[in-house]
Amino acid sequence: MDENKNLIRIANHIQDALVKLKAEQYQEGINQFASFTSQLQELNDNRNKLGKVVSCHWYASAQCFRSRISRSINDISYLLQKNKQLLDVSENNIPKLSVLVAELKQLQADCGDMDFDKDKNTISVVTEPIELDNIFLGPFKIRLELNKLSELHKDSPYYCIALEPNPATTDESVTHPHVSNEKLCEGDGSVAIRTALEQGRLCDFFTMIKSILNTYNLDSPYISLSDWDGTPCYDCGYTMDRENCYYCSFCDRDYCEECSSYCRLCDETVCLGCGGQCPHCEELACPNCISSCVECDDICCKDCLDDGLCPNCIEERKSENEEPENQNTETEKPGDQSQPETRKPEVRIAG
Amino acid sequence: MRILYVNNDGAGFADYVSIAENTTVEQFFAIKMQDCQAIDYLIRVNRQPVTRDYILKEGDRVTITPRKIEGAF
Repeated sequence: MDENKNLIRIANHIQDALVKLKAEQYQEGINQFASFTSQLQELNDNRNKLGKVVSCHWYASAQCFRSRISRSINDISYLLQKNKQLLDVSENNIPKLSVLVAELKQLQADCGDMDFDKDKNTISVVTEPIELDNIFLGPFKIRLELNKLSELHKDSPYYCIALEPNPATTDESVTHPHVSNEKLCEGDGSVAIRTALEQGRLCDFFTMIKSILNTYNLDSPYISLSDWDGTPCYDCGYTMDRENCYYCSFCDRDYCEECSSYCRLCDETVCLGCGGQCPHCEELACPNCISSCVECDDICCKDCLDDGLCPNCIEERKSENEEPENQNTETEKPGDQSQPETRKPEVRIAG
Repeated sequence: MRILYVNNDGAGFADYVSIAENTTVEQFFAIKMQDCQAIDYLIRVNRQPVTRDYILKEGDRVTITPRKIEGAF
């Protein structure tokens, strides 16, 4: 007896929500009619003005009004079609309480636990655990918000909440290939779901949502199930499976094959951002194997450094060491004028 | 004889339709859902599952809901 009373109370809430939805639909129709009549009024005004300017032989103004009338006629034909569509929609009678109670009883029989939150005015059912293509997505709570039912044509009045979420690795808001931020993209079921809600067929509504959650449409998921457990490359975003994922210990991030490499000195995996190319041997080296020259501070791989000096500085030192020897040989031959001058005299500017 | 037919396939609708006497659920499905397999649908009469040879009666409520509906993104 108490159970029946409870169901009647819930049915009453649903009926109120459907009444509000109907009022909203009528209001939408009234707004459309208002736009239509206002366009008609504008057309009439322009027609009168056109008559006046033509009688005064103001043909430049007449052309302007003629364009305005043409635009008005275009708008009117569009609004006429839209109004006709609104009028042609078959009238949905608000279901009786007894029908809604029968719906709720069927819902209980089909879904087991049906939860009604009196404060939030929501009806929720929980699905069986869902598994698609061997990926466990867990059970989902489908929560219908009766307060939002009147905005059915603007926004979705229900949410699909993952109770044991196993979201896609690349986006935590995607808990199902067709659910993002708890909103289900209904695809093929969109119109039928709205029709069921408008007619108060709650059981059909929940059944259809469950049908969508139990189906994987591989042509248009938010995230494909083949990429569900993948790791995104930090650099390019490409989703990789675990075997093709490369970890850079220097920046602590995962990279794909294209965006990572290895140090030619120590064989450590390194991303292209952390690794650097030695300007001398042109090989890639990790930060541990790259150092700067003690003389010129240029970056260089450790293999190319000799006693902390880069090849350029080593070369420079060698030539400096050779120069005094050359100078010595030149002083030994002062009379030899045919030798070209190899070094320009150093010019110092005082002050 | 008239029955209430609720079709949740495609655009979805609920309306009264006329059918011949002694039409079974299986025959009704074959007429209304041509080229469709009954196994792909949840078929109920008066909110209850029935056998395929159930003979429809005046005022029955037949609901056909697809078991698989493709979502999108």
